[in-house]
Amino acid sequence: MQMHGFLGRVADVLARHLLSWLHRRVEPGSREWLDALTAESECAEDGWQRLRWALGGVPLVWTINQRRQRNEPARGIMRARIVLGVANIVAIAGWYAVIIPATYGATHFLRCHLSFGNQPGGCQEHPFVFASIAIGGAVLGMIIALALRARFAAYWWAVFAAFTTVGSVWYLRSGIVDLPRYGATQSTMLMAATLGVVLAAIMRETPWTETYDSAGAPASFLSRHSITAHLIAGTISFALADALSRMRDRSLVADNVNHYAILGSAMFAAILAGLIRRLHRTPVERPL
Amino acid sequence: MPRPPNTSPQTLSVLALLLESPRSWHYGYALSQLTGLKSGTLYPILLRLADQGWLETRWAEPEQPGRPPRHTYRLTGAGARAARTTLAEAAPSRMTRRLAAVPGSR
Repeated sequence: MQMHGFLGRVADVLARHLLSWLHRRVEPGSREWLDALTAESECAEDGWQRLRWALGGVPLVWTINQRRQRNEPARGIMRARIVLGVANIVAIAGWYAVIIPATYGATHFLRCHLSFGNQPGGCQEHPFVFASIAIGGAVLGMIIALALRARFAAYWWAVFAAFTTVGSVWYLRSGIVDLPRYGATQSTMLMAATLGVVLAAIMRETPWTETYDSAGAPASFLSRHSITAHLIAGTISFALADALSRMRDRSLVADNVNHYAILGSAMFAAILAGLIRRLHRTPVERPL
Repeated sequence: MPRPPNTSPQTLSVLALLLESPRSWHYGYALSQLTGLKSGTLYPILLRLADQGWLETRWAEPEQPGRPPRHTYRLTGAGARAARTTLAEAAPSRMTRRLAAVPGSR
């Protein structure tokens, strides 16, 4: 009997969480019917009944979102998508056109003006100069992409910045100048950075859930603990990239420095993705 | 050939129930209990009927303090006329079968 009561309470909690999760999947202006279903869930006699009732919210939310898409003017959506696509392409391609010549130009110009301990004569290209300009350029690209509201481009530059930062630190720490020899590690770091950004982006909440929730639904665990969310994203990215690199090149396992570099890429990328999420938050007006 | 709108057995059972007392306001939970439809089937039907102008909706004050306002429904004048026509046109055997399945209709 006690077990039955406990399970009923669990079902009740699940039902409430499901309803609050469903509320976050619907725009505030379209929540009337989901609010109606939620209000009626109070009539349920026990937790199991409430859970069964709440499960009906899933097809309802699907119907609501389908209806909203149908009612939106198609031309407006198409135009918005084209503008967004162009903004993303401009932010990526345009900035590549600036960063690459700037990086090579600056390293060429500075190679005989800066001396480094591990470079005979100090007259060679050095990862420090190369990376500083590349990182600076990528971060600037990210800021410009955010200003253009081109979120995809911002994530793109976040990956680039994370990868180059960790790669440069790793190279400088190891005193490695012969970059092509470490192509496998580079690939893994890039993979970890990409996964870190992608996972952190997936973990972000839908923009309208962060500013207003008509049902007073509690924010999800991941939105309440964003640092934890990004650490999880970074760790998963690291684990995936590391596992793939182990399959590809067994000797990579022997070098702990590689692991730190990959972990660093993943974590840094996840944090950058979190910053993008925060900067890209869309305010939503509370309906009357 | 696509089915005419609002002629599914589930929609017909909702319309039949609403037509029993067309001027009264109905609660979603009670409609679900009386028709035997699950919330995931009932609410999309109600939403569609409201979009088509067959159904009037209203938020009612809660009967108990601390509870949220409840959404209530009744057929509009045009909705009641259209529902009568639809029910009359529906195959009698189908309706009979469906209504037989509705708790409290026997």
